[in-house]
Amino acid sequence: MLQPHSLLWHYLWLGPNVLQAGLAIILWRRGLHKSFPVFLAYLAFGAIEQSILYTMDVARLGSYDAFWQAFFAGAVIEGAIKFGVIGELFFHLLRSRPAIAKLGSRLISGVGAAVLLLAVVAAAYTPVVHRPLISISRAYVLLQSSYVIDCGLALFLFLFAAHFKLIWNLRAFGIALGLGIVWSEHMATWTLNANGVWVDKNYLLDFLNMATYHVCVLIWFYFLLTPEKPVPEKVATTSAVSLPENNLDIWNRELERLLQQ
Amino acid sequence: MSLAIVLVIAAIVALGTILRLALTQHLQVSRERAGQVGSIRPIDIEAFRNLVDSAEDEYLRQRLSPAEFRAVRRTRLRAMAAYVHAFSENAAVLVRVGELALASGDPHIAEASQQLVNDALLLRRNATVALARIYFALAWPYSSFAAVRVVDRYERLSGSAMLLGRLQNPAIAVRLSAPRAR
Repeated sequence: MLQPHSLLWHYLWLGPNVLQAGLAIILWRRGLHKSFPVFLAYLAFGAIEQSILYTMDVARLGSYDAFWQAFFAGAVIEGAIKFGVIGELFFHLLRSRPAIAKLGSRLISGVGAAVLLLAVVAAAYTPVVHRPLISISRAYVLLQSSYVIDCGLALFLFLFAAHFKLIWNLRAFGIALGLGIVWSEHMATWTLNANGVWVDKNYLLDFLNMATYHVCVLIWFYFLLTPEKPVPEKVATTSAVSLPENNLDIWNRELERLLQQ
Repeated sequence: MSLAIVLVIAAIVALGTILRLALTQHLQVSRERAGQVGSIRPIDIEAFRNLVDSAEDEYLRQRLSPAEFRAVRRTRLRAMAAYVHAFSENAAVLVRVGELALASGDPHIAEASQQLVNDALLLRRNATVALARIYFALAWPYSSFAAVRVVDRYERLSGSAMLLGRLQNPAIAVRLSAPRAR
């Protein structure tokens, strides 16, 4: 079952890409490409890239080296699109909050520089595991570096929103959640791959990657196609403490009453 | 290999953090949609102003021995941190109140909500910086520290909340802090 070219392997490689191509078409038809154009490009490019790689692998098109060169080129383009997706999510998070837009931009730049430095250091210390075919090692190190940066930025987005108690747009939240899960998991597995851990059983890590990606595509389906619930117009708060009988108590009660309307 | 282990552990921690924050956010939004945003803690602004008064610090510095001054200063800084934490938490509640009110069809309420959200976010940002400075001052009690900007921002936030409150119900007045001592 958990072997390369098993039925499950074929399904996990092809299935999520067919689903994400379908999702891209649905998003386009519903006009959501206007809100998330870069994410739509990410979905479309991912589906095309993986279909080409799948065909090259299964139909034995081109040499082994050609496959890894195509894989590398795809990872470079996808890496650039992923930065765009992060920018898009950050834009959605900050566009109605000008008060912290400047701070947010500075912080994400700083975090981006820090994780880029970490990725470069990690790449410098990564051994060349596949000496006979250097393009494999090169692709592994590229993906390790790419996911270190992506995972760091995705984590920053969630921490930033949580610190300022920002309410995510449901669709942006779904996209960020799916990407956060898949990028964290990919960071771990590509680091293991790049460093030659379980080199004889690294197809198990491929299964883990593909299964995680499948789950994330389903997450995107749920959040992007579920209609947003209307927000109640009036919300309530309650006081955490009981106050002595003075003016402050009266004002606080008034505040509570106002917020409970 | 050791760096690889660190990266794998970091990825697992990041995954756990993202899942936890996402779940917290999801549950919080569900609670808010049910009408429960959170609680506002009343704050005695005058007491806080006394705590951050540099003249009082100077007075204590002249009257107390260095060891006594450090002990007293640290106690005052811890009290200051508790106040700023309360400012920050109240601001967080008001961010949520304002963001939920943004959905209102009334343009005046939406505008007031936007103002409240902006002020609350600025207060939360300033409170974060103030807390960092207080913790720094805890390590070096002789360093000077001013949290006046936080106080000013809190008073402005109180004004924004009052405006939103008046627009939502003109009959009821709102304040977030105690009045100044007469």
